[in-house]
Amino acid sequence: MIACVAVVGHQNNPLYLQSFTGADDALKLHHIVHCSLDVIDERVNNPKRSVITLNESYLGLLYPTESYKVYGYLSNTKVKFLVVTTDLDVKDTDIRSFFRRFHAAYVDAVSNPFHVPGKKIISRIFAVRVSGIVKAFAPGTYG
Amino acid sequence: MSLVAVFAEFRRDWAEALRFYEEAYRALREETVVNKGLMIATSTRLPPVQRLVEIRAVAEQLFFKISTLLLHGGKVEEAIAWFNRHFNSYKHLVGLDEVSFLHWDWLSRQFLVFAELLETSSAAIPNTLSSHFGTPESSLTEWEIQPAYYYQLAANYLREKRYCLDNLLSTGDSEFSRTSGKVPESVMPSVFIGQSARLVEQGDMIEVLPLSDAEYVQYALSEAQRFQDSYEIIALFRKACESFTNLKAPRLASLCSNRMAKEYFFTEDFTDAKKLFDTVSSLYRQEGWVTLLWESLGYLQECSIRLDSAKDFIEYSLEMASLPIFANGDQEIPDSKREYGPAGLPSQSRREALQSEVLSLVRGEEIVSRTDRGCSIAVTKEQPVRIDVDIISPLRMVLLVSVAFHDQSVKPGSPVMFTLSLVSQLPCSIEVDELEIEFNQPKCNFIIINAVEEISAARSNGDNQDVRIETAPSIVLPTNKWLRLTYDVKSDQSGKLECLSVTARIGKSFKICCQAESPASMEDLPFWKFEGMVQTFPTKDPVLSFSGQKVIQVEEPDPEVDLILNASSPALVGESFVVPLTVIPRGHEVYSGELKINLVDARGGGLLMSPRETDPFSSGNHHVELISISRMGDDDESRIHSDKIKKIQQSFGVVSVPDLRVGDKWSCKLEIKWHKPKSVMLYASLGYSPNSAEAARVNVHRSLQIEGKIPISITHTFMMPFRREPLLLSKVKSLPGADQNVYLALNETSILIVTARNSSEVPLRVKSMMIQSNSNKNETPYSIQHVGGVSADDSLLVPGGEFKGVFSVRPKIDSPNLELGSVCLNWNRDLTLSDSEDSGVVTEQKLPAVIVEQSPLVVSLEFPPHAILGIPFLFYIKVSNQTNLLQEIKYSLGDTQSFVFCGPHDNAGFILPKMEYVMSYKLVPLCSGSQQLPQATITSLRYSAALNPSVTATTIFVYPSEPNFFVADNEKETILAKLNL
Repeated sequence: MIACVAVVGHQNNPLYLQSFTGADDALKLHHIVHCSLDVIDERVNNPKRSVITLNESYLGLLYPTESYKVYGYLSNTKVKFLVVTTDLDVKDTDIRSFFRRFHAAYVDAVSNPFHVPGKKIISRIFAVRVSGIVKAFAPGTYG
Repeated sequence: MSLVAVFAEFRRDWAEALRFYEEAYRALREETVVNKGLMIATSTRLPPVQRLVEIRAVAEQLFFKISTLLLHGGKVEEAIAWFNRHFNSYKHLVGLDEVSFLHWDWLSRQFLVFAELLETSSAAIPNTLSSHFGTPESSLTEWEIQPAYYYQLAANYLREKRYCLDNLLSTGDSEFSRTSGKVPESVMPSVFIGQSARLVEQGDMIEVLPLSDAEYVQYALSEAQRFQDSYEIIALFRKACESFTNLKAPRLASLCSNRMAKEYFFTEDFTDAKKLFDTVSSLYRQEGWVTLLWESLGYLQECSIRLDSAKDFIEYSLEMASLPIFANGDQEIPDSKREYGPAGLPSQSRREALQSEVLSLVRGEEIVSRTDRGCSIAVTKEQPVRIDVDIISPLRMVLLVSVAFHDQSVKPGSPVMFTLSLVSQLPCSIEVDELEIEFNQPKCNFIIINAVEEISAARSNGDNQDVRIETAPSIVLPTNKWLRLTYDVKSDQSGKLECLSVTARIGKSFKICCQAESPASMEDLPFWKFEGMVQTFPTKDPVLSFSGQKVIQVEEPDPEVDLILNASSPALVGESFVVPLTVIPRGHEVYSGELKINLVDARGGGLLMSPRETDPFSSGNHHVELISISRMGDDDESRIHSDKIKKIQQSFGVVSVPDLRVGDKWSCKLEIKWHKPKSVMLYASLGYSPNSAEAARVNVHRSLQIEGKIPISITHTFMMPFRREPLLLSKVKSLPGADQNVYLALNETSILIVTARNSSEVPLRVKSMMIQSNSNKNETPYSIQHVGGVSADDSLLVPGGEFKGVFSVRPKIDSPNLELGSVCLNWNRDLTLSDSEDSGVVTEQKLPAVIVEQSPLVVSLEFPPHAILGIPFLFYIKVSNQTNLLQEIKYSLGDTQSFVFCGPHDNAGFILPKMEYVMSYKLVPLCSGSQQLPQATITSLRYSAALNPSVTATTIFVYPSEPNFFVADNEKETILAKLNL
């Protein structure tokens, strides 16, 4: 199950962060997402250390905590997408396709002429769409 | 199985040992599952609590062995996988609530042990491991191979243990504590791993008795209480934090710092906690993580109360109150205290509460600590609080001040509009009692008082009477709405006027001082820049919002003194050119005046010399030189007196100007000398004070472009004497036009004509012209005599006019490079009012060197000055041999239509040494007028050189008949007298 999704801007500032656990663990998830940015920095700044080519936006598993796993995705405009799952065994393809949908939703949200780039995403439609994607996410459901 | 493994290990059969340890671990795991399935009811030997403890202890032992062997063999990935499996197997095996702390303690120990194992075997970790993190092939990530990761988790679980233990102790009504009241004595570890037993002494016999679970729990509790977990937690976090910092993972490091700070807070070490929270929050501020910052600020707020720092408390509270809340979760959850610390859940209502709390504090109420009711802070008159907000302070969100002058420059003494805009992001409107605006010119400072507070404020400011006070109907700052106040500001002092800061006073003893910002260069607010707010402008005029500045230039007062510079004509090179300068006060009086004169190349290039040439020896490099500044019509004494300051350099001069009243006049002469023709800008600037008191100085600037021109151009020509032609061999040999050298014959008189032409625009007077020898010796290798020319007595040279001097030159030595000296022309301007003592200017021009050589043959022609048609006359061609050799010559005379002659057309002859050969012809002119004599050619066979007399030398005027000149006798005498001169 997905515990949390987040969009992080250029200056590593949170643009969107939504928790889906129902419990009041927002702070914990904020910490997890924030710490995951270190791994993204590490992977982006040392591309030769990792086989991830820069053309690929999917950054893979970033950060395992005891009960969560964090996956990352980097857009061409250096906007970071993160997802925190409670499933400890998730297929890479599932996560990839999840990120693709998430990214598409983000692109649609920032294409809104009233959205100022770099500001927080406050669109309700985006929120609804993201929670839809999250609800539909179940390991093995995507090809 | 484990025994077999130990034996294998003993035999150094690592693979075998590992296999058996794994086998033993698996068997234990199965038993655990079975036990768990039967809810520990079928416990065989031990009571359930102790049974679990034993299983954990055995598992730990086996796992320790396995991971040591794996890491020793460099199988890091496998070891980590094993660890994860180990952790996942046991993490849910919490056991009863009363002994859950044992579980967390054990878990923490697993992480700690593994971290230490990793650390000691870090050399065995292959570097290639890191290359495929994040890929499907690797389930590992960067931090999982770092001991810091495990240290941090160990600390986390230890913290969990501490929470459980604290909960247990605070409730204190557990079943076990009720049933068994007493902590059993003499408990010691049993011979079997993970078991405890009680020693009971019965006489001399020491018996080991098993414990009941209740006894064991009491024992474990009492043991746990003895340990200071907090210190260990802090140590673990510090270790992790340091490693993460080294690994360039600032966020993970700050997470560890955050946890560490919380632990310090728990142990009531507020100073250390505050220090750590401060560093952590700066990262969160920088990256805009509101929720994380909120949590840290909540702790900081509490630390400030406990440290009795009202200022810090206000700062942190105001910052929290002005933070934009990330998510709108308003529902308060009971557990949020543990999660968020003393700050509670970030919400709009919390922000509002914080603001009102701070406002009540600054208005005199006490604030009590949330964690310790005995601790409180207050703001009193004796200890006022002042907060400074600069452009990088997070408190800009609380109060942002933007100031703009409506103009870019202003005359001194005239008012300029000044808009002061304030905005606050606090959740509720805030009322300010007084605003104090501070400028870099303290005379401009003023205070704006809230009209409601006016009376009391006026009373409190009684000691500050000279500060201008304005009143505003109300100074209320609504959330995110600019409060704009416009006033006039007047400055008498020229220079920069800058608004430095604006201090807002709220209550009697609280001030917040904000550095003023220009709207044009205002940074976005931290945090709020990511919020989708409507953009607002500090001023109503959008142009001012984009370009407004907090600085204005106060201009100098207009000078009321005339500075007159005059130059009637262009300057001439060589003369001392005088520029009169006059200072006439019109409206101002001149005190401590100082006049600066500067000469600058008008075509750019700055100074008239390069700075490197400033040494006095190279003054010749100055093309234009300021010679002196002298008072007009003053005698020497007063000059010395008035020129108190007088510094003159080649292109710069400073001179002091005496004090002048209106109606006075002061003038001086600037003497400037041009060495080269150059166009020069003359800058004169007069700085003075309009009154005798030390006040702003006023400057008057004037400039004048003066052309420097060459007054006279001198040219010269050498000529041979009339009808005399020496043979100069080198001249014959040289190619025509190849060189411009002048050849003169030795011991022959040549004529030098010097022409001076006035190339300026002013009439000049030539006083004398002469040729000066360069050599100091009395005997010169040549003789020069002035033989004539235009009258040399002060002859007037109009612009474009020429003056000619004629000199005879007779070289006395044979030299290929004979210096003839230079032409010296003494001249002055033809001024009607010229001073009698004016000695004139000498222009000197060097004559080029000449080549002097002995001429072997000299040809001279002799014939009368005129002829008469039809009447014969004699024409002699004389060739004199100057050598000691016999010279053979050939000569010929061509036919012309104008003359018939008798004598040979072609002939040859020999000339004896030092002798002269004369050819004589009788010619009869056939035409009248100016006629060319027959062309004579004389060829020297020895030198293979031919001489052709020049056309002018062979021209004769033929009269048609005998001319009759009638000249009166007296005139004849005059003419004769003149001719004889």
